[in-house]
Amino acid sequence: MLWNRHETPGALVGQPQGRVDESNWSVFAAHLATAITDAGGRRFIIDLGGVDYMSSRGLRALSTALAAAKKAGVDMALAAPGPAMSEILAISRYDKLFVVHASVEAALS
Amino acid sequence: MRVRFWGTRGSLPVAMRADTVRDKLVSGVLAASGRRFADRAEAAAFVDDELDFAVRGSFGGASSCVEIEAGDGAFIVCDLGSGLRDFGLDAMRRAGGGHPRRYHIFLSHLHWDHIMGFPFFVPAFDPDATIVIHSGHPDAETALRRQQEEISFPVAFDWLRAKIEFVTLATDVPHIIGGVTVTLLEQYHSHKSYGYRFDAGGKSVVYSTDSEHRSDQMDTEERFEAFFAGADLVVCDTMYSLGDTVSLKQDWGHSSSLVAIDLCRMARAKTLALFHHEPTYSDAQLQTIHAEAISYEALTRGEEAEVAVICAYDGLEVDV
Repeated sequence: MLWNRHETPGALVGQPQGRVDESNWSVFAAHLATAITDAGGRRFIIDLGGVDYMSSRGLRALSTALAAAKKAGVDMALAAPGPAMSEILAISRYDKLFVVHASVEAALS
Repeated sequence: MRVRFWGTRGSLPVAMRADTVRDKLVSGVLAASGRRFADRAEAAAFVDDELDFAVRGSFGGASSCVEIEAGDGAFIVCDLGSGLRDFGLDAMRRAGGGHPRRYHIFLSHLHWDHIMGFPFFVPAFDPDATIVIHSGHPDAETALRRQQEEISFPVAFDWLRAKIEFVTLATDVPHIIGGVTVTLLEQYHSHKSYGYRFDAGGKSVVYSTDSEHRSDQMDTEERFEAFFAGADLVVCDTMYSLGDTVSLKQDWGHSSSLVAIDLCRMARAKTLALFHHEPTYSDAQLQTIHAEAISYEALTRGEEAEVAVICAYDGLEVDV
């Protein structure tokens, strides 16, 4: 998994790429935690467009981050899931836990 | 080894209502529109081959009870849920045909839905039967005696005629019981629960129910990967969606099919049986959950071997 991030005036956008699975979920979780700290009250958007798939530990890292974001007053949302990630979000019912935007632009608007 | 599911529901037994039967019949009749069947065999073939399981059958409603045929011929049973009643009747039939009247019971934990079948277990009234109740919990006897006290049940535990023994098993060593190697793993659940691994004749079956895999303990899940390692069949608590287990139902002590699939994949287990079904779920919902689990397994398989995902139902038999 690769991790990039960029910032806009009102948001921090995290971009994981590749697979988030049992081999790298803890790295993913650490990136999320750092980003929430750095977001500092801004919105935090996870751009899922480059994610091939995410297994249960990656998903649980996401929901743990969501709880931390709420505590920190950071508005966290998901954006741009491809077909596989959209299906995984639906199967896991994470589409009920998260606000999921069709694109990063939609999330930022 | 043969695994026979006598009860697969979680928390509370459920019974099918008349309106549910009617809905299934309506769906079946609609599916048969315009068809003619020469006899019952043709009609049965249509039902078996062309109707969804949720229409032609049911996942059932009895609470946890799973039989494992292995070892020296003694009965091996995981949990004493309401499915135990049917197992007991069938065991008496088999005992009448010469099957040894020795029973090894393995308790995952002592919650009501996992012990409620015992007061209705006919072999417990058989003076020629020996029933050994194995548990990781030292208070298993207290739990079983308590549910047969007068305030709860009219037949006292001491009135049972079988020879009944209680054995507390340690988690750190394998145990040879009934010709099977049995190992335990402590699991996260209210008052703890224990998973069991049964190895015999080069085959292995894992029974891991009422086990929550918490988000803040993911770094300890290697314990489960090692426990499931190479298993031919893993029976797992998959009661809720992953989303539920990290939100509304966090700390309820249960898990999801997604976590079970990932643990089985990491363990290189061959088959996962979804188990401990949420009692409010209909057959159609459980069929959907099963299909979703199969999709998730395929989506996240990568280069790893496939984990076959089956959905346990009352009456299912699996040979491994």
